[in-house]
Amino acid sequence: MYFLLQYDRALGELASIDQYSDEQKEQAEEDRLSVELAHYRAKRSIEVVLLEAASRDALLNTHRRYFESVSSLGRLASS
Amino acid sequence: MCKNRFSAETVSKSSVDRLGDRLKNGDPIESDLRELDLYRRSAGTDYDRVITAIREMGYSVTGRPLKSTQSIIDKLRRESCRLTQMQDIAGCRVVVPDIKNQDEAVKALSERLPRASVIDRRKKPNFGYRAVHIIARCETMSVEIQIRTDAQHKWSELSEKLSDLKGIEVKYGGGSEQTRKLLTSSGNLIRDLEANEIQVTSIKDAIDRAVSTIGAATADSTASNQLKTSMEKLRQTSENLNKSILQRRLETLRLIDEYLNNPED
Repeated sequence: MYFLLQYDRALGELASIDQYSDEQKEQAEEDRLSVELAHYRAKRSIEVVLLEAASRDALLNTHRRYFESVSSLGRLASS
Repeated sequence: MCKNRFSAETVSKSSVDRLGDRLKNGDPIESDLRELDLYRRSAGTDYDRVITAIREMGYSVTGRPLKSTQSIIDKLRRESCRLTQMQDIAGCRVVVPDIKNQDEAVKALSERLPRASVIDRRKKPNFGYRAVHIIARCETMSVEIQIRTDAQHKWSELSEKLSDLKGIEVKYGGGSEQTRKLLTSSGNLIRDLEANEIQVTSIKDAIDRAVSTIGAATADSTASNQLKTSMEKLRQTSENLNKSILQRRLETLRLIDEYLNNPED
């Protein structure tokens, strides 16, 4: 499945996440562009990222940065 | 065959690189963003093939079919590469438990994927970043596969998060002294953990060899002595490394607390 993430880098916060089935890949790609253009026109600095993973848990495991704080990632890195 | 109209047949390399120059040199305009989107999507078929191959081999993989616009612009500004030379427009990530599994995955994937080249950043870390990357050279574009151990991955996530909050320079050796100290300390911890794994595996292999020799010839006193020596070495190595790892872990935790409670910047 595909996940469309809107991430505020400066705040380190995930603004939103939308989920698509494998069959909706093209739609996810179209939406990625539309969202990026909307932020561009509004002069908002939001990173728009499209990722594909078997599940939301799999996505969390490989891309924690979008979901977790420095504190949590720091403790994980020292565990 | 690529379905996208932005393919090698219809768009020249030079026009893609001119787009790259515009992205690099100034704020992109809306038509640049649309053009970049089409270029990225031309990697779709290659990306799908690579992801399918990795999944067929039994690995859990997260794909990133389209590198984000901000990441592309950052890379164009940071490095001297042109847009058409960028090897990670499409990419994916595999996280494995340890070095042994990482080595196995690198071997298996580099044999399976087309014209693969391996970049081993464990031997030469990039500002603390340790991982192995495989570049699969496909029909239309290259696809990058990041293979990280769990420990390497945890460090990378911390580094990326700090770079989000403090600036991209953090990933490339910059940032405040406090941030650099934190990343160096946690990076050294992971380096030691993995050195421990390699040493213990090597000693265990020596023990296995000695045991198998003893099994073949019970009266072989040389093998028996080798076994005793290896076991003692294993005990000492583990003890020393565990002490060192514990110290590094405590130091890293102290720096994290300091960072969170009293950030310098």
